Amino acid sequence: MNARDHDPIAISERELTSMTSDLKDMHEDSMAEVRDNMASLTDRLAGIAQSQASRRSLLFGSLAVAGVGVLAACGSNSSGGKSASSSTNSPSGSSPYMGDLKVVALAAALENLAVAGYGLVLANAGKGAYGKVPPAIAEFATVVQKQHKDHAAAWNSVLKGAGLPKITGTPLTIAPQAVSALKSAKSLGDVAKVAQGLESAAAQTYVFAAANVADPGGIATAASIAPVEAMHQSILLFVLGQYPVPNSDIGISGAVQPSALTA
Amino acid sequence: MSDSLDGSALAGLMEESQDLHADAMRAGRHQLDDYVAAAKESSFEQSRGLGAGAVIAGVAGAAVLGSALPAFASGNTDVQVLQTAASIENLAVATYGVALGLPFIGGSSANGVVKAFAQMTMKQHQDHAMGFNAAVKQLGGKEQHKPDPKYLAYVNSQKPKLTNAAAVVGLAIALEDVAAQTYTKNVSQVSTGDLRQLFAGVAGVEAQHKAILLAVQALIAGGAPQLIALPPKLNKLPKAAGSVGFPDAFYPTKSASPASEGAVK
Repeated sequence: MNARDHDPIAISERELTSMTSDLKDMHEDSMAEVRDNMASLTDRLAGIAQSQASRRSLLFGSLAVAGVGVLAACGSNSSGGKSASSSTNSPSGSSPYMGDLKVVALAAALENLAVAGYGLVLANAGKGAYGKVPPAIAEFATVVQKQHKDHAAAWNSVLKGAGLPKITGTPLTIAPQAVSALKSAKSLGDVAKVAQGLESAAAQTYVFAAANVADPGGIATAASIAPVEAMHQSILLFVLGQYPVPNSDIGISGAVQPSALTA
Repeated sequence: MSDSLDGSALAGLMEESQDLHADAMRAGRHQLDDYVAAAKESSFEQSRGLGAGAVIAGVAGAAVLGSALPAFASGNTDVQVLQTAASIENLAVATYGVALGLPFIGGSSANGVVKAFAQMTMKQHQDHAMGFNAAVKQLGGKEQHKPDPKYLAYVNSQKPKLTNAAAVVGLAIALEDVAAQTYTKNVSQVSTGDLRQLFAGVAGVEAQHKAILLAVQALIAGGAPQLIALPPKLNKLPKAAGSVGFPDAFYPTKSASPASEGAVK
C-alpha cells in the first residue's frame, strides 16, 4: 500500500492549499473596500447617536420581517416573500440601539451567535461527540467561524464609533433555542441542519437589511455580507445531500426580526 | 467522469427544488411589482425635482406618472442597471447552453451532479433575466435580450478552450462572480428598497452558484472528480475542500460591471 492508498487525493490537498492561499490574498483586498464602507458608516452614525432626536430621524422605515425568524428557518431552506410592511421602529425599553443602529446591533448579535455556535460545535467535535470528524468539515467550521468573527468585528466597530456599547454576547430571543439545538445535536448531520438554518436566516436578514436601512455604508456592508452567508448555506445544503441552490432568490421570509434583539 | 449519484434520488431533489424555486419566483414577481410601483414613484419624484419624502397620491398622480415613463426610462439609472443585469443573465443562459451541449457536461460522459447543476442553474438565470426584463418593461424601458458585450467577447475567446470540464467550470465561475459582484454593487446604486432587495437576493444566489462551482473546480483540479457526488463522501474530501467555496468574508465588488455596460443603446 503506497501513500496514495492512504490519501487518494494527496496532490489535490497541496493544490487546494495553494488555492486557499491565493484566495486569502483576494480576501485582504476586499477587506480594504469593506473598511472604507464601515468607516463612512461609523462617521455618519457617530454624529447621529449623539442626539436622541437625530436617532429618531434615522428610522429605517418599514423595518420588520415577513417571516418567522431563525428558529423556524433551522432545517428549512425555503425563502422568498414580499418586502416587509409592518414597523418595529418603536424604541424598545431602554435600549440604546435605535434606527439603523438597531440593525447594526442585531447583525453583531447574530454574528456572535454564529461564532458561538461554531465554537460549540468545534469544541464538541474535539471531544468526539460526533465521532470522527472529516478534515473538510473541521476546516469548514473553522473558516466560517473566522468569517463570522470578521463580520461581528465590523459591525461592532460601527457601534463603538457611534459611542455605543459593543455587542459582545448573543442578546437575541432566538439564541437559547438555537444553542439548545446545537447542544442536543448527536451527529454532524444534526449540526449541519441547525447551522444551515442559521446561515439561511443570516443571509435573509442581510438582504432585508440592505433593503431597509437608510445609511449607504450600512446598505453596502449588508449587501457584501449576505452573499457570503448564502455561500455558507449552500455548502451546508450540499453536505446534507440537498440541492445546494434551491431558490432563485434569497428572500426575506426567514429573516430575523429586529425585535429579536434584547440588548 | 462517473459519480455515485442515485438517479432517482437526484430526480426527487430536483423536483423538490423546482417546487421551492417556483414558490420563490412567485414571491419574486410580487417583489418586482412592488419595485416597479416604488421605482416609478421615485423616478417621477426625481424628474420633478421633488424631495425623497414627497408623495404622489391618487389617480391623478398615477395618470401623470404613466405619461412620464418613457421620458425617464432612457437615461434612468435603475433601468440601465436592470438592462445590464438582464444582459449578464442572457450571457449566462447562453453559456450554460453551450456547456450542456458538450459531452462531458451535458452528455453521456458527464458527471450527473454537474449536469443537473448546470441545467438548474441555467433555468435560474433564465428566470433572473425574465424578472429583470419585466421590471425594465414596466418602467417604460426597452427589454434587453442581448448578452453583455464585454463578457460576450470573453466567452467567445474561451470557447475553443472548452475541451474539458475544468475549463467549463472555470468559465462558469468567472461569469457567476461577475454577476454576483455586479448585483452586490447594484444594491448601492438603485433608488428603492424593493430594488435593493431584488439585487441583494439575486446576488446571493449567484454567489451560491460560485461556491459550488469552486468546490467542483477544486476536486477536478485535484484529480478527484469522483468525489463530486450528492451526498458527498465527506470523509474522503481533502481538508482544503471545506473552505475553498467561500474565499471572502465580504463579497468584493471590484469587478462589478458599470450600470451602462449592458444598457440598451
